[in-house]
Amino acid sequence: MRNNLASPWMKSVRNFVILIAVWEFVGRMDWVAGGALPSLSEILIQLWLDRADYPLHIWATVYASSLGFLIGNVLAIVAGIAFVLSPTLLRLMRGVNIAIFALPPIAIAPILVLTLSGMAPRVTLAALGVYFVTMSATVIGLSQYDSRSADLVRAYGGGNWLVLKLVRVRGAIPDILSGLRIAAPNAVLGAILAEFGGGGRWGLGTYLLGSLGRGDPARLWGIGLVATLIAGLSYAVFALISSRISGSTAIPSSHGSDGFSRPTQALILCGTVALPFILWWAFIKLTGVPDLIAKTPFGVFDYLFLSDTSAIARGKLLEALGQTLPIAAVGMIAGLAFAFLLAISSRMFPGFIKGFMPIALVTQTMPLVALTPLLVLILGRGYSVTLWITISVTFFPAFVLLVQGIQRVPQSVLDLPRAYGASAWKEMRMVSIPAALPYLFAATRLTVPRALLGVMIAEWLATGTGLGNLLNRSRGLLDYGMIWTVASVTVLLAVAFYYLVLIVERRTLARLGMQNVE
Amino acid sequence: MTSQPAGISLRGVGKTYRGRGKTVEALRDMNLECAPGSFTALIGPSGCGKSTAMRVALGLESYDSGEVLIAGQTPARATAGGVTGVAFQDAALLPWRSVAKNVALPLEVLGRDPAKSKVEIAQLIDLVGLKGYENALPGELSGGMRQRVSIARSLITSPEVLFMDEPFGALDQIRRRQMNVELQRIWSETQSTALLVTHGIDEAIFLADQVVVMHANPGRVVEIIDVPFARPRQPDLFSDPAFHALTDRIAKVLHEE
Repeated sequence: MRNNLASPWMKSVRNFVILIAVWEFVGRMDWVAGGALPSLSEILIQLWLDRADYPLHIWATVYASSLGFLIGNVLAIVAGIAFVLSPTLLRLMRGVNIAIFALPPIAIAPILVLTLSGMAPRVTLAALGVYFVTMSATVIGLSQYDSRSADLVRAYGGGNWLVLKLVRVRGAIPDILSGLRIAAPNAVLGAILAEFGGGGRWGLGTYLLGSLGRGDPARLWGIGLVATLIAGLSYAVFALISSRISGSTAIPSSHGSDGFSRPTQALILCGTVALPFILWWAFIKLTGVPDLIAKTPFGVFDYLFLSDTSAIARGKLLEALGQTLPIAAVGMIAGLAFAFLLAISSRMFPGFIKGFMPIALVTQTMPLVALTPLLVLILGRGYSVTLWITISVTFFPAFVLLVQGIQRVPQSVLDLPRAYGASAWKEMRMVSIPAALPYLFAATRLTVPRALLGVMIAEWLATGTGLGNLLNRSRGLLDYGMIWTVASVTVLLAVAFYYLVLIVERRTLARLGMQNVE
Repeated sequence: MTSQPAGISLRGVGKTYRGRGKTVEALRDMNLECAPGSFTALIGPSGCGKSTAMRVALGLESYDSGEVLIAGQTPARATAGGVTGVAFQDAALLPWRSVAKNVALPLEVLGRDPAKSKVEIAQLIDLVGLKGYENALPGELSGGMRQRVSIARSLITSPEVLFMDEPFGALDQIRRRQMNVELQRIWSETQSTALLVTHGIDEAIFLADQVVVMHANPGRVVEIIDVPFARPRQPDLFSDPAFHALTDRIAKVLHEE
């Protein structure tokens, strides 16, 4: 009976202590891959021995991620306010927004290193990592407000600006804060990935990469722990400021086509598609990097189709795609399927979910993909490491989203089938699965970029195949055309996937009479 | 003040919502004259256009035909000039502002300095029976108290014309009657022209000089009934046989199609 009274918190703490104990024991016994998983005490001892190395590495990463966090969020909030005031602008920028959301940071890290210098690539990647989350949170926060309060201001002759100032901005602050909370670990991840991408002596990413070849598991784990700690702390700071539980992962959209004639709409659509390419072109012209190194969209087209070596380049690219895409798809499907099954069965094993949910939430704050070297250490350099990374980066966010979605179903709706004597299976079929379906689609959309990122990092660091490897090798061969090609093709693919899922989602849910989760 | 007549005047107002393949005629040829200082109640079933009529008069929605004058001006000029006051069904208080700051909101919208109206704000809070709650946040108040804050807020500009859209709709019957009695007292002290949108027949009769009965599809006025009872009206009017007779008559008009 006492056990029933224990809070979920106590259970989580208990599980955590058990986990640490098992870890210590397994590590001491060298049971995993011949000592690739050291015990916690061994890691801490190594951390102490290396203590002279850490301050400069930590400082470099924290500096880049903080600056990127600041710049990215200022831009995001300004953009969010502008988008709310002008839906046309939001629509026009949609292509850019989706591209920033979907781009796997590792794909453009080499580009940024080529075109920018010093800390700038790291700061840029960190800023890109936070922009989308905060921008969406700002738009959503400003869009959800009490229409009566807005009417009141209008009833006294107030315009859009006064409504924004008096009613909407203040109401959006909790949403913006929860956006900042989710964005904070992204900044750390961005900085570390840029460090993988090259340049600079200091930084936890550089340190991690440099230690990978030295075969000292305890040190690698120490760096991983410190990186996780920094990301977790940045998350905790904003979690403390805002006590909201769930953040929004929505993509703000301007629904309907009110007030625009067909030609105007077509014009806006053209602008939406063209704008990312225009910005790409402008970025290169503004940085003033020579054409040989920095390729404009035309340069990439030229490299792939018009130059003498085009055929060879296309062959390499297709071969890499053939290696990367199947394994990304398999890993993603496995991760999503596992998350879906576990989430819909949560009604049958509520105790397990209660104990597991905190762990799943904690992983959200970890720069999972930045910890790839640790998995390489355990799983070797084969395909299994790619698969496991992809599964882990898709499983956790999908699981959290699905469980939160199912929890939003009112208790009375869940109880209704039971009241008519339905079995647990029937109840699941009638309520839990349909309730989880919209969230499954949303999870698919949101995890596509993560899956690509996970696969590419594994390829870059470990397996020596696919797009990630092609990117890394081209760096060594100074094959600038290929670097730009891989980066642009990856981003295009991620955006295309996103839209593909969105179209299937809209069709399916419309047929089932459901709302999609924005 | 202005030499223009205070009051509300809707002449031949029409308003149609056009959706996808579906049009709703919210108002057809609506005529309504509210004399300065009079109290008018709009009553009718859901979708009869009574709220739309009020929103049109407040300039919150456009209209397709006819003419709307508030204190002799267009709705937009009247609202921007601080001629009108408004209270909605929900109290619509900003949850992060104290009672006093919520009451002061219309002044800020109109670009006036709330600091100059400290005395008026305190008087109004006292008038609605919330003295001592000036610094409370809406979350700390009961539903009835929040509604009284919204009444105080609607009066802060000393409006010539006061609009109320089911201001007591969220309250229980007992609290509602108390608020009716208080509203009559407050209104009689302000000398404003009042337009009340309501679902309750007894509320309409108790407060109004004229009750405007509306029907839906299309939204239109079917009858305007004068209320003869002398003011100030006492709570025992609710149990007067003449009151019941008038209630029955309005109910009959409401239910005939």
